[in-house]
Amino acid sequence: MKKLLPYLLVSPYLLHVAVFVAFPVVFSVVLTFHSWNIISPMQYVGLANYERLFNDRLFWQAIWNTLRFLMVHIPLQILLALMLAELLNRTVRGASFFRAAFFLPVIVSGVVVTILWQQLLSFNSGIINRMLTAISLPRVAWLDDPAVAMYSIAVMATWKNVGLYVILFLVGLQSVPEQYYEAADMEGATSWQKFRFITLPIINPTIFTVVVLSTISGFSLFIEPYIMTEGGPMNTTLSAVMYIYKQAFQYYHMGYSATLGFCFALIILFVVVIQKRYVEQEV
Amino acid sequence: MAEVLLKHISKAYAGGPTVIRDISIDVKDREFVVLVGPSGCGKSTLLRMIAGLEDITNGDLLLDGQRINDRAPKDRDIAMVFQNYALYPHMTVYENMAFGLKLRNMPKDEIRQRVTRAAQILEIESLLDRKPKDMSGGQRQRVAIGRAIVRNPKVFLFDEPLSNLDAKLRGQTRIELQKLHRDLQATMIYVTHDQVEAMTLGDRIVVLRNGDVMQHDTPLALYNQPANRFVAGFIGSPPMNFLPGRIVADGTALRFESAGGAVSIRLNGSVHQQALAAYAGRAVELGIRAEHLTDQPMNRQRSYFSPEQLIVFDAVERMGSETLAYFILEGQRFVARLSGDSTVDTSVGVSTFWDIDKAHFFDADTEQTIR
Ligand SMILES: Nc1ncnc2c1ncn2[C@@H]1O[C@H](COP(=O)(O)OP(=O)(O)O)[C@@H](O)[C@H]1O
Ligand SMILES: [Mg+2]
Repeated sequence: MKKLLPYLLVSPYLLHVAVFVAFPVVFSVVLTFHSWNIISPMQYVGLANYERLFNDRLFWQAIWNTLRFLMVHIPLQILLALMLAELLNRTVRGASFFRAAFFLPVIVSGVVVTILWQQLLSFNSGIINRMLTAISLPRVAWLDDPAVAMYSIAVMATWKNVGLYVILFLVGLQSVPEQYYEAADMEGATSWQKFRFITLPIINPTIFTVVVLSTISGFSLFIEPYIMTEGGPMNTTLSAVMYIYKQAFQYYHMGYSATLGFCFALIILFVVVIQKRYVEQEV
Repeated sequence: MAEVLLKHISKAYAGGPTVIRDISIDVKDREFVVLVGPSGCGKSTLLRMIAGLEDITNGDLLLDGQRINDRAPKDRDIAMVFQNYALYPHMTVYENMAFGLKLRNMPKDEIRQRVTRAAQILEIESLLDRKPKDMSGGQRQRVAIGRAIVRNPKVFLFDEPLSNLDAKLRGQTRIELQKLHRDLQATMIYVTHDQVEAMTLGDRIVVLRNGDVMQHDTPLALYNQPANRFVAGFIGSPPMNFLPGRIVADGTALRFESAGGAVSIRLNGSVHQQALAAYAGRAVELGIRAEHLTDQPMNRQRSYFSPEQLIVFDAVERMGSETLAYFILEGQRFVARLSGDSTVDTSVGVSTFWDIDKAHFFDADTEQTIR
């Protein structure tokens, strides 16, 4: 009895893990070797799904789209968050108001934010294009130009999430003792030198956290293109997650979709490991 | 040459009360001046105004005759050692010391030379590749001083640099700081709340209290001729004994009588007679240091006083070199410094002898020394 009690106590958690984590993982790995459309029984197909994946140009385009998104989104996110945090860290009047204002989009539903931005970016009636016209600049097809659309989405996603990272950076900045800056003042450092040689190295761990968090959240890009562009124009905003979703719930290729998901998870893992290596060398 | 002159300096933090009131201090070239006072009296504020880290609300700050109130900290040619050292945690000792020189675009060779030289002076050559977190408090403290030395500034400022060290290390470092001051021939302004540090380090000491200068003089002058009751009580260890009372004139006889009546001291023939004659009938406070209270009869020629009532010590501390014996008189805590081989003990009555010529009398209202 004594030996059983601990197991009894953790059993709800174990049950949860079994049902919602372990089973889906195992099941989806099993699925990658099958063809299944939910209605008919599963059919074992060996490595056919993997073979198809390597020849699926659309999947690799979706991966490339996602990477293009990340390449704009992550640097922009970090730069903007760091700048805003720096500003808020000084005793600005109404700092708590701005802090709340930047954080608001984070907690508002992604669907709402996306619809809002869809209107802002609309080619004919969007405020942004109207402002461009007002200063006699040409209008931009923010969501319809294949060369632009993904970057518009990257900017929008940055706007939505930046508040979270501002908070993280603020915590980081506030952990730097004021005396470091005073010592640097005595040594003759400029504001930029203080930032470059003192702030940045000290908040490096926070930067790493933000890079990893925004990489992971960026890889799961879905709502924005799904609502605004449906992956278009010419599949240039089709994100990896969106493609996996389509394979599963539009075409009912459950086995293939699981294969894509599995492969995509490996790619994410690979990227994060590289980031970790790089940043750990820095510290 | 580096002379620092503070002329009628005041400071009020935005929206706060005045924390420094009209202070004037002159620091001579190559002098070691210590600002000492209880915590919160404004020492750091004063030092930070000299450094340029705080604005000066009123008054003039002169360095070698030039007003530098509005000069940026880096243009003042002043270096500061912070209380918690403020070493950059991500830089090695070498980088910490070289940082300011690099910012000034000094050639690499000269930087190396200067850092090496400072490291030699401070005996931290073996630590140059370490990061601050891998060093002891005493080592960090040396690095912080090293960072100041490499710049070869006109004036060094220290804000309680020893307060994070243990007692033994503090004693050693005091001696090394003295030596450093001699070797560098630099002007130094040093802040501490510890009167022992002040006494041992300062050429001159400025005693501060609540933003006012209480006295500005050499260590021995502060000790032997305190200007007021505050300085008398602050400087010296163990602290001076105090006894409130009044001056009574009875014909030609002049006496000090304690408030409780247990002590009546004849002042005729003492060095105080003349000054205290004017205080007849007024409240004063007697101050006498532990070493001027003994259990041995004194030289008869000196003016001394021995209370009829025997003293019963309630605690005796034997230090070997001296014995501190504590007692309470009229509700006041007293301590006597007796010889190391004294055999006094608690709960036995002892005759005491008070060297009245060495005692001080303070005006009870103004707390100023009566001279
Ligand atoms: N930045 C500040 N803003 C407002 N008041 C301050 C500030 N810094 C210090 N003070 C006040 O000024 C007084 C003197 O402080 P400080 O110079 O730090 O004293 P010390 O160094 O002698 O302990 C204190 O009453 C303290 O509360
Ligand atoms: Mg202080």
